[in-house]
Formats: sequence, structure tokens, C-alpha cells
Amino acid sequence: MSRSRVPEPLSVAELLHFGPLAKAQVFAADDLDRQVAAVALVAELDQIHQCEPHSAVVLHGAAALGAWALESALRLAWERNAACLLAPAEITVTTPTAQLAERLRVPLFVVADPARSALELAAAISDTEAARARLTARCAVLFGERATARDIVGVINTEVPGVITALVTDDGHVLAGRSAADRSQGSHRVEVAVPGPDGRPWATLVAQLAAWSPSWVETVRTILRLARAPLAATVGRAWLTPVFQAAKEKLLLHTLLTAPDATVERQARDVGWRLDGEHIAVFLKPSERVPGPAEVATPGVVVAWRESFGDLPLIPREDGWLSWWTAVPGGPAEIATRVHDHLAAAALPIPLVAGIGVPGKDLPGLTRSISEAILAAAVASRPGGNPVEQFGDLGPRAVLACLPVDDIAAAARVALVDLINAPDAEVLLTALTALLDCAGSTGQAATRLGVHRNTVLGRLERIRARGIDLDSPDQRLALHLACYALLSADTPT
Amino acid sequence: MTITQITAEDIPVLLAGAQLLCSSAGSIALDGYRTAIEEVLRRNGPVPLVALDDLPPDALCVSIGALGGFAPMIELPPNGDEGVLAVRALEERLGRKVDAIVSLNSAGPNAVFPVASAAALGLPLVDCDGMGRVLPLMIQTTYALAGLPIGPLAGVGLAGDVLVLDSSEHRSELLLRAAMKAAGGWLLCASYPATVAALRPAALRGATSRALTVGRMLTTADDREALLAGLTRIMGSRVLGSGRVIELGHATRTVGPRIYPSVPTSIVVGEYGSAGRLIRLEGHSELLLAVIDGAVAAAVPDVLCLLDRHELKVVGMESVGLGHHVDVLVLPVSPMWHTPAGLAMAGPRAFGFPVRHPREEEA
Repeated sequence: MSRSRVPEPLSVAELLHFGPLAKAQVFAADDLDRQVAAVALVAELDQIHQCEPHSAVVLHGAAALGAWALESALRLAWERNAACLLAPAEITVTTPTAQLAERLRVPLFVVADPARSALELAAAISDTEAARARLTARCAVLFGERATARDIVGVINTEVPGVITALVTDDGHVLAGRSAADRSQGSHRVEVAVPGPDGRPWATLVAQLAAWSPSWVETVRTILRLARAPLAATVGRAWLTPVFQAAKEKLLLHTLLTAPDATVERQARDVGWRLDGEHIAVFLKPSERVPGPAEVATPGVVVAWRESFGDLPLIPREDGWLSWWTAVPGGPAEIATRVHDHLAAAALPIPLVAGIGVPGKDLPGLTRSISEAILAAAVASRPGGNPVEQFGDLGPRAVLACLPVDDIAAAARVALVDLINAPDAEVLLTALTALLDCAGSTGQAATRLGVHRNTVLGRLERIRARGIDLDSPDQRLALHLACYALLSADTPT
Repeated sequence: MTITQITAEDIPVLLAGAQLLCSSAGSIALDGYRTAIEEVLRRNGPVPLVALDDLPPDALCVSIGALGGFAPMIELPPNGDEGVLAVRALEERLGRKVDAIVSLNSAGPNAVFPVASAAALGLPLVDCDGMGRVLPLMIQTTYALAGLPIGPLAGVGLAGDVLVLDSSEHRSELLLRAAMKAAGGWLLCASYPATVAALRPAALRGATSRALTVGRMLTTADDREALLAGLTRIMGSRVLGSGRVIELGHATRTVGPRIYPSVPTSIVVGEYGSAGRLIRLEGHSELLLAVIDGAVAAAVPDVLCLLDRHELKVVGMESVGLGHHVDVLVLPVSPMWHTPAGLAMAGPRAFGFPVRHPREEEA
């Protein structure tokens, strides 16, 4: 910090918030960003004509005779471009006078002792550094007393005059404060990066300044920096709470589904879960292969879910999150639409897919619906799946989706090595699958493949030549699965 | 039309016109009092109204005017003979007969006392006065401004007390006020005895006939625009603004010694429309200062008055209420009042408002 710099004058707002005007009654407080260059104690209205521009005009004596004199003084102060006007408390400021002050945009303060206020103002504007240090100290004290990010950013917005502040994530989401702060562009902007509780970059404190001066910017930046540590602490608390709650619910759900008794059911009802009626389960699952355990995304997923569906529970399970609707008129189709919209629109930490179960009654039905939703979600997470799959549409085919396809494919490549090494392996594999699908009917297989039956017969001969026996019942199931696995696996055959 | 005499029928008209020059002081009805004056005129016949220049220069004139409150006037109306007692007492003190009556101020009730006195004395009334409006002190006159002495003077109280006083102007005012209180609340005075020649530079001409003309307009008006246009034509009046009374208060203080027998009052008129200006009117028993959005727009000695927009009547400070729809008028007074001496005697500073009169700003 350069000590040789001359500090810029304090603004009216600074004098109000931490200076001699703190106890004054305030009128027309919309325009407090003007700087106060001087103080003028005025006993005659005519003296206002001689005031320097940007003065704080303090009325006393004959200049403060009543409402009319105050209004005349407001007018003269406006003509002289005064920073603000102070009047003694003997004058009752009624609505018309306050309206005039607002119309002229002259901030008006009513103080008990004008002469004393004038002295204090003069002292404050002659030592701006001390005044700003007091502001900084005051903010630091208040930061320590606030527990949420919103309250901490609120301290800056209410205490630091002429500054609007917001806490903004990298993608522009406003976490706390006034979003207007983030919309400002250009030089009247101060930014301070705020780390999360883990020390990694988390968000940015953005402040928009109404008045710009190097020393004022420095003051604001200091205050923003002071807010960083308390903000990080609040984030830690905010992140722990949903994680803790999710862990509790996870345990409760597990007990409910595996060993339900009256106590567990009561506990479940106590946390707001609905156990009676027609349930439709929904299972959310990370799409494809999201690196790392999905649990770290739990707070973000739960918060997004609550924003969309209010108090509907979302309980973490292995590899996903579970919820259920009860007594929904539109059934699974309606829920599929809503979940689809949610996945498309919500701010999710990782891409998700969803599976939806078939309606089931009471706790047993819910347990079944949950299993179905998990299977459907497995299908949805596979390559080529829809983001939202309904078990009702999939039926037992969902079972296939749960097989370790890559493992089977790897085994098949060994077991069927002759077939795979054939020059026309792909043609033969497709024909084999069609024949198995059609229970060995060459006619039906020809229709499905779009070729002549003789062609199918020819391919069947070549398949047999590679050592594959379609007629052996103990081989057919394994062969069928192997074909599907080879066709579904990511890696080329 | 030249008015040459005043009859009993003219009294209500004269009172209506005189009301306009009261600067919104005392709009209460003085029915008993009016009846007494009309009775005097019926008994003695019409009063000739003469111009100052129609009289010989050495003719002796005295000013008739009352000081005191409205309430005592209502409680104890005059019988009409008070002027006779006062003039006779003064004649005795001066040692010569009075030739004509002039008005102290042809505004409010004081517009008709000289008529009654002239009728009872069988003397002509001179068409002039010494204020052109209402002012609270008897020494705030153009007569005094031109150097005429207020005394010797004679005052008559309600119970027939007769008082002859010969003192300096300021002591006369103090003594008269003390005597007025002791006498029951008001005193009719015959003061400023002067010849026509001495009155010529001091008097405001045509005061009574102007009050009659305006009174006729006010008593017959049924069209606001026409009335305002008429007032502008006759009085040079100007509408400062029109709106609704949004605040009434008594919070105003003034500087200097409290010489005025009245309480400070404040009226705020908000102009129509969302961007309407704020007209703050400050007064004692009459309106003295108009401040529009903080700028002094008009001030005593010019006449400020409120006109009810619907009933087309002058609104007095006693009857004005919140929500009243009014036009705020300013009626300029004679240029004599706008001289530095005139403003020193009856300008805003004389009433404790430390501001310049708008005419001073122009100068």
C-alpha cells in the first residue's frame, strides 16, 4: 500500500454507516454516494449561497426555523450541489419535506445537535483513513458473528456504502448476495477468489462500486478478503449437513427394505416418507462411466432434486439415488416426463440417467418397484439407452442390462475364437443371433435379415464349420448370451 | 363604472371583496356585526364615496379602523356609534372639525367600519386606504411609510370607553394593544389625522371601490376560469398553483421578538399530478410566505390567499382542512410596499422570515 497517496474524500454513505451520522434520522437516502469535500455550519439561509460544492451543509439558528426554512435550505443546497443537508431535531420533517428532499435528491439528516455533528463531520472528513479503518474493523467483527454465506455477503451489502456484492460460482451461478453485482462490467468492479473448505477454488466475491477511487477500492478489497475465511467455513458446514442427512436416510431405507418392523416404519414416516398407497420408484444413476465414486456428487444431486420436487425424498444407494412417488395420477409415464425434464434442466454436478419402476402397493409393492427402477436405470445407463427408462416398457429384458457384458464378451472372444477369426465374422455373428432369436427357424431368420432362405442355410453351414452346434440345448443359452454380449460390447470384435 | 355612494345593500358585497385582501385571515361570518352596520346606513342614508383629489387640500381626514380579535367582535357586535365617539374625541383634542373619513385598511371587517362611521357622522368616505390589505399592526401603513404621524388618536371600546392617545408610533401601538385587551378585546380607532394634501402621497387610491368591484365578482361568480381571469384583470392576481391541502401544522418558528398577536401556522398544498410541486404557505393569522419546492415564490406584503376551487370562495385559515381543493393566489400590492422602506416595514423579514422578498431578488 502506498502511504504517499492522498486519500479521496469520504462519501455521504460512509459518514452515515460508520461515522458521525450513524445516529441521524435519514431522509432521501437514495443518493448517498457523493463525496463530502467540506462542512459548512450555516446560521442564515443566505450563507448556503457561499458554500463550496460537495459540502455537507449543517443548519442551525435562524436557518433552521421550521419546515419552510428547511425546504428553502434543501433548495439552496441543491442549487449549490451540496453533498447533504443536516437539520436539527427541533424541525419535524413531515412527508412533504421528505418528498422534496427525494425529488431534489439531496440526502437529509436530522441530528440532535447540529453544531456537534458539524464538528464530528469535519473531524471525520479530515481523517478518512481512520474512518475507513473503523469500517473494515466493524465488518470483520460482523463476519465473525454470521453463520451463513448469505448473511456474510449481506454484511458487505448493508455495511459498506455504495457497494453491492455477490458470491458467484465460475459458471455464473449467484450463491449469495445481489445478482446485480455480477452484471456490472468494467472498472467499477472488485473481485476476490474464495476457496472452498478443501482449499480449491470454489467461488468469487464480486463487488460493484458506485464510487471509484484507489483508496476506496483498496478498502473494499480488504473487506472482501476478510470475508473469505468465514465464507469457506460456512461452505464446510453447508456441505456436511446434506451428506450427514443422506447417510442417515441411506441406513434407514436399507433397514426398511430388508428388515422392516414397526419401529423402522415409524422412523420412516417421521422423516416424511410415504409408505402406504400406490408407489412408483425412481432411481437416478450416473450416466455411462463417471469417474470416481458417485457419492461425492450427493449434496449437489440432492439439492437439485429438492429444487425441482420439494420435499420428495432422494436417498443415496450404492451407485445411485432413490426416490418414489405415491399416488401420482399420470402413472409412470407422467413421472418419466417430469424426471426427464428435471435431468435436462437442473444444475447437476454429474450427468444422470433414471429408471422408473412399475406401480406397487404399500411397502412390498414399493420394494418391488424399487428393484424395477434400479434395473431400468441400469438399462438407461448403458450405451444407446434413453436418459429415462421405464421398467414397464422393458420387462425382463432389463435383466440383460444387468449382465457384465464386457466380461461375457471377453469370454466369448475366447470360446468362439474360430467364428470371430472368420473373414466374414460379422455376417456370421448376425446370422447366428437371428437364428437363435428365431428358435432355429431359417425362414424367419431370412425374413428378419432380409436375405433368401438359401443364404441363411449357407451361412448356417459356415457357422457349423467353425465348430458351433446350434442344436445342443446345453450350449444354446450360453451361445445366445455370447452373441448379445459381442454385439453390445464397446470394443470391436 | 364609477361608484359614488355606498348603501346598506353594498355592505355584504364590500365585505366579500374585503375578504379577499385578508390574506386568508378571518373567514368567519360576521352576521350580527354586518346587520348593525347595515342598520346604521339605513338610518343615516347612503355614504358618498369621494376621490381624494375631489377634496380641497386643507380638508382634514381621519382614518377609521379597528384593532382586536374576531371573537370579541362576534360576541359583542358594535352598535355603529363608536366612530362618532372616537371622531368627536379626536376633534376635541385637535381643536377642529373633521371633513372626511378615510379607511385604515379596506380589508376584512375594517372595510365597513369607516362606512358606518361616515354614515353616522354625515361625512363623505374617501376612496383610499393605508394598507391595501390586512396587516397586523396599526403602524404598518403607507401613511406611516410616508411619514404621517399616527396620533393624536382616539379609541373607543365596547363599553363606551373613550381613550385619547398622543405618543410615538411604536408606543402608540403598545399602549393601544394594552388598552384593547382591557377594554374587552377590540377598539375602534380614529387615527392618522391628516389633511388631503398630506394624504396624497401616502394613501392607496381606489381601495374601497376596488373591494366593491371584486366583491361583486365573488358574490356572483359561478365559473372558476372567469373569476380567476376577472381577479387578474382587476387585482393583477396570479395563480401560484392549484392542488390539495396535504398538511396543516403549527411548527414554524420565526426570529426576532414576538410582536405579533398570533400563532405561526403552516399549510402545505400538493399540486395535482404525480410530479406536482409542493407549495408551503407560512403565516400567522394571515398567510405571509409561499415557498414552492423550497424556493420563495411570494411573500408579504403581497396578498396570498386560498380560493376554494369548487365553491369559488376565499378559504380562511380557520376553515382550511386536509384534502381541501384550492387555488393559491398571489395579489400584488401597491409599489409603495415594494420599496426598501416598505419591505422593511411589512416585508417577510418584518415577520421574522429571514428571506428576501421576490421583488428584492429581481432587483
